[in-house]
Amino acid sequence: MDTEALVQLARCPLDNPNVHVIGVTGPPGGGKSTLCGQLVQNLAREHKVAALLVDPSSPYSGGAILGDRIRMSALSANPNVYIRSLSNRGNTGGVNSTVVSIIRAVMNCGFEYIIVETVGAGQSEVKIASIADTTLVVAVPNLGDDIQAFKSGIMEIADIFVINKADLPGADVLFAALRESAVRHKDGWLTPVCQTVAVEGRGIDSLLDYIRAHGDWLRRQGRLTEKRKQAAKFEILELSSYYLQSHLDQVPADVLAANLANKDFNMLQRLLDAYREIVNSLSEVN
Amino acid sequence: MVPIRVLVAKPGLDGHDRGAKVVARALRDAGMEVIYTGLRQSPEQIVRAAIQEDVDMVGLSCLSGAHNSLFPKVVQLLKEAGAEDIQVFGGGVIPESDIPGLLEAGVRAVFTPGTPLEEIVNFVRESVKKGDA
Ligand SMILES: Nc1nc2c(ncn2[C@@H]2O[C@H](COP(=O)(O)OP(=O)(O)O)[C@@H](O)[C@H]2O)c(=O)[nH]1
Ligand SMILES: [Mg+2]
Repeated sequence: MDTEALVQLARCPLDNPNVHVIGVTGPPGGGKSTLCGQLVQNLAREHKVAALLVDPSSPYSGGAILGDRIRMSALSANPNVYIRSLSNRGNTGGVNSTVVSIIRAVMNCGFEYIIVETVGAGQSEVKIASIADTTLVVAVPNLGDDIQAFKSGIMEIADIFVINKADLPGADVLFAALRESAVRHKDGWLTPVCQTVAVEGRGIDSLLDYIRAHGDWLRRQGRLTEKRKQAAKFEILELSSYYLQSHLDQVPADVLAANLANKDFNMLQRLLDAYREIVNSLSEVN
Repeated sequence: MVPIRVLVAKPGLDGHDRGAKVVARALRDAGMEVIYTGLRQSPEQIVRAAIQEDVDMVGLSCLSGAHNSLFPKVVQLLKEAGAEDIQVFGGGVIPESDIPGLLEAGVRAVFTPGTPLEEIVNFVRESVKKGDA
């Protein structure tokens, strides 16, 4: 990655309160891309909308096939819409290490809504909650164990539950179950449960009402600023671990192994010292 | 270090994308990031997508016989948009006799059925490398 560009981007403000960053996560095939396409289409009638769509990279080659655009091909010609497909570049957790930098870029190009679709690998995809103002967790009827999956962490990150494919049998059961387990956030936001049929554009208007309501609530509570600070913190954590890893990856394994904590070259100690020094000098400037 | 990005698109009205998908997978397996846009894309849509995605190359697959108008159109629209650094290559059932005209129109290479996948992969790698120099 171009480090100079990243530093430039890091200087772009992330705190614009008139921009709404919306994250969409949920199981693969749940209809996330289709749903994002509907949200984008709807919002683009009056606003500039950017969609950042993350798909997984191949662990073997590092390459990727990024296919989320297929679900929104009609939007390619819309002048209010910007769509960017991203590989997760090996990052676990559903996004990639530069996603906040990209959000900064589009935020400063005048986009008012920024939609981020995560990889959709399932339960461990909680990083999106550190990035988005509003996180939608998509569920579909009759995946069998989806309530189970919800119990293991993804539930807590939802600001809005979306039951997509509500045209399929089992939607009512899922609705009841999710309503029962809806999370009440600190300061009183009660996670609503929406039903959508993304392929037909059904339920999108009411989902958008909830999305706006959550945005308003964040602003009223003064929590939006807090969210963006969290996102910036996430950004530095992700970028630093990405860079550390990619630098170390370039060193042959035997060289690393021999110098891990050698008397002549104590790599581990030097790394830890460098980190401590940076953090210490940070407390001096503040 | 930074992966090569390629947009693989299917202009035209035919609904067969097996060839396009095979090429997409080969490029992925060679470490590239392939943006796949699906069937029946207009040249305008393809060009907008290519610019938004900041790709190095666009690969077009066409089996409908409309390659003589569609491929040059994509090249021309890229140029009009100031994105002539994005190179275009094509593939599909294309008569040998059409190839010189396509190359003349600015298409970098045309691959007919049966071309070994390594050849396409190497072509993309080499073209992007040259473009960077
Ligand atoms: N029955 C039904 N199918 C849907 C719905 N939304 C999306 N799909 C289909 O589900 C499949 C996966 O959709 P996609 O948006 O790619 O899911 P993603 O992997 O979560 O991004 C596609 O074939 C869609 O047409 C829906 O509301 N009902
Ligand atoms: Mg998707």
